[in-house]
Amino acid sequence: MEQAFFLADAELQEALAGLSAQADVWVPASDARKPGLVRFRRFQPGLTVRLDARSLVSAKEVLFPRSETLLRFTKEKDLSVPAGHRIHLDDARTVRPVVVFGCRPCDARGFLTFDPVFTKGPYRDPYYSERREKTTFVSLVCRDADAACFCSAVGSGPADPEGSDAQLIPVDGGYVLRPVTERGAALLEPIGRTAAPEQIREAQDVLDQVGRETVGEGSLTTLAEAFRARFQDPAFWHAHIDKCLSCGLCTFVCPTCYCFTITDEARGLNGERIRSWDACMFPHFTLEASGHNPRPSKVERYRNRVGHKFSYFPARYGQVACCGCGRCVRHCPVSVDIRAVVRDLPAQEEAHA
Amino acid sequence: MPKVVTNDNPYLPHMGTIREIIQETPNIKTFRIVLDDPEEMAAFRFEPGQVGQLSVFGVGESTFVINSPPTRREYLQFSVMKTGEVTRALHRLSEGDPIGVRAPLGNSFPVDELKGKDILFVGGGIGMAPLRTLLLTMADRREEFGDITVIYGARSPQDLCYRYEFDEWKAAGVNLILTVDREFPGWEERVGFVPTVLAEEAPSPFNRVAITCGPPIMIKFVLAGLKELGYEDDQILTTLERRMKCGIGLCGRCNIGDTYVCVDGPVFSNTQLRRMVSEL
Amino acid sequence: MDTLHAHLEALFDDLELVIGWETGYEPLRPTPAFLRSREDLSRLVWNPLCAPNLSVYLPGILKDAKETGKKIGVCLKGCDSRSLGALVQEGFVERERLYVVGLPCPGTVDPEALAEARKSSAPVTHVSFRDGLLAITSRDGTEEIELERVLARRCRRCRHPNPLHADVILGDPVPPRRTEPSFSDVDAVEAMSLEERRAYWEEELSRCLRCYACRNACPLCVCRDRCLAESRTPKWTTQRDGVRDKFLFHMIHALHLAGRCTECGECERVCPVGIPVALFKEKMARIALELWDYQAGTDPAATPPLQTFDPSETGI
Ligand SMILES: Cc1cc2nc3c(=O)[nH]c(=O)nc-3n(C[C@H](O)[C@H](O)[C@H](O)COP(=O)(O)OP(=O)(O)OC[C@H]3O[C@@H](n4cnc5c(N)ncnc54)[C@H](O)[C@@H]3O)c2cc1C
Ligand code: SF4
Ligand code: SF4
Ligand code: SF4
Ligand code: SF4
Ligand code: FES
Repeated sequence: MEQAFFLADAELQEALAGLSAQADVWVPASDARKPGLVRFRRFQPGLTVRLDARSLVSAKEVLFPRSETLLRFTKEKDLSVPAGHRIHLDDARTVRPVVVFGCRPCDARGFLTFDPVFTKGPYRDPYYSERREKTTFVSLVCRDADAACFCSAVGSGPADPEGSDAQLIPVDGGYVLRPVTERGAALLEPIGRTAAPEQIREAQDVLDQVGRETVGEGSLTTLAEAFRARFQDPAFWHAHIDKCLSCGLCTFVCPTCYCFTITDEARGLNGERIRSWDACMFPHFTLEASGHNPRPSKVERYRNRVGHKFSYFPARYGQVACCGCGRCVRHCPVSVDIRAVVRDLPAQEEAHA
Repeated sequence: MPKVVTNDNPYLPHMGTIREIIQETPNIKTFRIVLDDPEEMAAFRFEPGQVGQLSVFGVGESTFVINSPPTRREYLQFSVMKTGEVTRALHRLSEGDPIGVRAPLGNSFPVDELKGKDILFVGGGIGMAPLRTLLLTMADRREEFGDITVIYGARSPQDLCYRYEFDEWKAAGVNLILTVDREFPGWEERVGFVPTVLAEEAPSPFNRVAITCGPPIMIKFVLAGLKELGYEDDQILTTLERRMKCGIGLCGRCNIGDTYVCVDGPVFSNTQLRRMVSEL
Repeated sequence: MDTLHAHLEALFDDLELVIGWETGYEPLRPTPAFLRSREDLSRLVWNPLCAPNLSVYLPGILKDAKETGKKIGVCLKGCDSRSLGALVQEGFVERERLYVVGLPCPGTVDPEALAEARKSSAPVTHVSFRDGLLAITSRDGTEEIELERVLARRCRRCRHPNPLHADVILGDPVPPRRTEPSFSDVDAVEAMSLEERRAYWEEELSRCLRCYACRNACPLCVCRDRCLAESRTPKWTTQRDGVRDKFLFHMIHALHLAGRCTECGECERVCPVGIPVALFKEKMARIALELWDYQAGTDPAATPPLQTFDPSETGI
């Protein structure tokens, strides 16, 4: 660790306030009324920042809001055209710099699933990409994995710097801030003082120790083929999915689920075209106008969710579309465990022998 | 007036105007659309089989194949069957109304690979739309292709689209075989389902490519019929349909396994179809 | 527990399958189990962590089940059994095709309260329950926590812990925590001024993700794939992320449960962002009680009040 800064616990609020002058700073925080309910919120002085707790919903809404305007349309009178009016389109948008502070490594890494899809193409999504370019992630090295976490099983880990611009490493009395990228270094410089050698040593020890931890069993990154082999095994999918309620919870809390819908919300010819979160677990998602639905029941829908993350996405982009944050497992109303489904994919021979 | 932002935003439609509307059948209308910016219209290029997203602002967008051929560029033609929210709204529009167009999107028929070949088109109902763009491309470049046979069926004579140009097709040397599901007074062409007529006509698979589009049940039997006649998988092309939103590979809904119909399709060979997970 | 296993073992030949709970990814999270063979029965668990209301699966499973003449076994807590009653009343479930195992319920755990009450946050390796105490074991040792301290809100107001409509009741009846209907949580919200109440719901509902878990977990939300909240024609709600649309969705949900909600509290339990959405339905339940002296799902022969029309009714 070459360059690092130190931020004392007591200085956290002040540092976040300082950052807020130039950027929207999102932190895990709880409300006064619900101390156990931690989610990402825009920092304001006095907010109860909870670096000690995992957020319920992922940080994806920071870059990919639940609902956002793609364009506005207005009817404009124009007697020179036959219709007597024109439609004026406006897709103007402003992008503020964003800092996501104190997310977990998995939250930052989640955006590595968005990036190839939204920033590379064949079509680049300007809304996401413009925001992404101005976002800095400061993630906290994670020391309290719970029973749902499995980041190591998808090639990440509790001290993973991938996707983060800087890391927060808990040490005695505060945090050592370690830049990972240049953007991270530029962000940190003004908010921390240079860490003392013994703080750097302590931080390095934490990093080494957490880096050695394995969160989640085995590896779930090479099962694309096993998935294809299981595709037409209804008994397998029923056994795992009969209990699923086909709601949108797992996809909405997930940092790597990016499916959306586009709708017009208007009064007559004045209004906006918006994009909002959608979920492959909803029946309407694939329902065609003819009434035909290629994924008519939760079995096909959940199979698609698993396939997308562990087979289709790897085939297209060379990586699994899951960062192992465990949210879908932890918050599923009936505890459907995607790890168990994926882990069982190859067990064909044993299961049918 | 505020300036229209024209950047590289793939969600931003181009504004166009409906020049002409043709009532093809009781529930299908054809729209001839011209982009408002003459330069944009002049520069507009596409390949047969590519689609566009038409916008009725305040209601939404839907996907339709550009069924005019790239060889004729005075207007872009779309035929729309009335089925749901957006298509109903499209049917309410009049000539002269503004309309949004995002196009061209998706892949296209491999026209160059079809050169020198005999061609068989098998279409049902609105499924004739994607075939029309390729058919007219070939008619306009007639000498590059061999025999062109079209088997086109609909429920009844009044459900056939493009009736007003059948003579033009025939004049271009197209062997046009029309069929309807049952007898109708005054109908002198074939009677029977498309797959049955296909079996009766039995066009030889030798040096021929078959291109089919229509309702799923028709496709199923046509594919079986073609196989029966000896067509290999890579001699059969079809277009797939999936519910779409973005049309640009982002919104996640149109996939069949790892294939996204909006960017990898809609045109696929039967060889490609067989490699896909079975989730049609 | 042993009686439950033994009872179902003895009967299994006459059953198509048994719906119960099994240990989930952690002993703290029992998960619904569809037990299709005798060996599967060994996976069955029953304790105050068995929160999911299994009656939600009944209409679907009965629709898909082959006609083998065998019954479908299902384990139900007190509140779950009222949901069954309502499903039977409304004709969604044929009671005679089920074998209902009623489990007198000590109350279920609110996971958030449990997390607060625990000293350790380490993954749990073992859970047991005796004499009102939960014993929770992790690598940090075993902690004993009184169930009463971590009880779910629905269970604090429960007056039907002992299942109704069961073929067999396994376990001793438990004394209900309430003998009279309790609407004190609704009262607390109603005691707020109009502005306070507005601010309260705006804040709560602003968190709603519209994931529809509350709707899909509700055993009486039987429209499922055809819900008005997602319909575009007719279009009731927009896709905007504002409280107005969320509120409308919750009003649609609540009104569709008027005189039907059996107060199992599942909608509130499953909400990932902790919105007390059951309060809306409790308000409906109170109206049904006050207007018609009606409690949904308690009498399978009764006609739900909103399915009848009686011009002589007073108070409407
Ligand atoms: C590649 C492709 C080419 C097509 N070409 C034509 C054509 O030339 N002529 C024609 O009449 N129809 C065509 N369709 C079908 C047409 O897109 C749908 O009938 C239309 O989207 C229905 O919209 P709706 O709003 O009326 O229906 P609703 O049922 O109200 O659907 C709501 C929305 O869902 C989406 N949607 C629903 N069904 C489909 C579907 N089958 N395909 C794509 N999106 C759907 C649309 O965004 C639609 O606006 C094509 C579809 C695809 C995928
Ligand atoms: S897996 Fe769980 S969260 Fe996901 S749709 Fe099914 S019930 Fe809902
Ligand atoms: S699939 Fe589940 S574990 Fe994986 S990233 Fe999404 S929420 Fe996290
Ligand atoms: S409401 Fe009653 S029956 Fe239902 S879980 Fe709670 S105590 Fe048990
Ligand atoms: S479960 Fe909660 S977040 Fe999801 S729709 Fe219901 S109230 Fe909203
Ligand atoms: S239509 Fe959006 S991904 Fe294909």
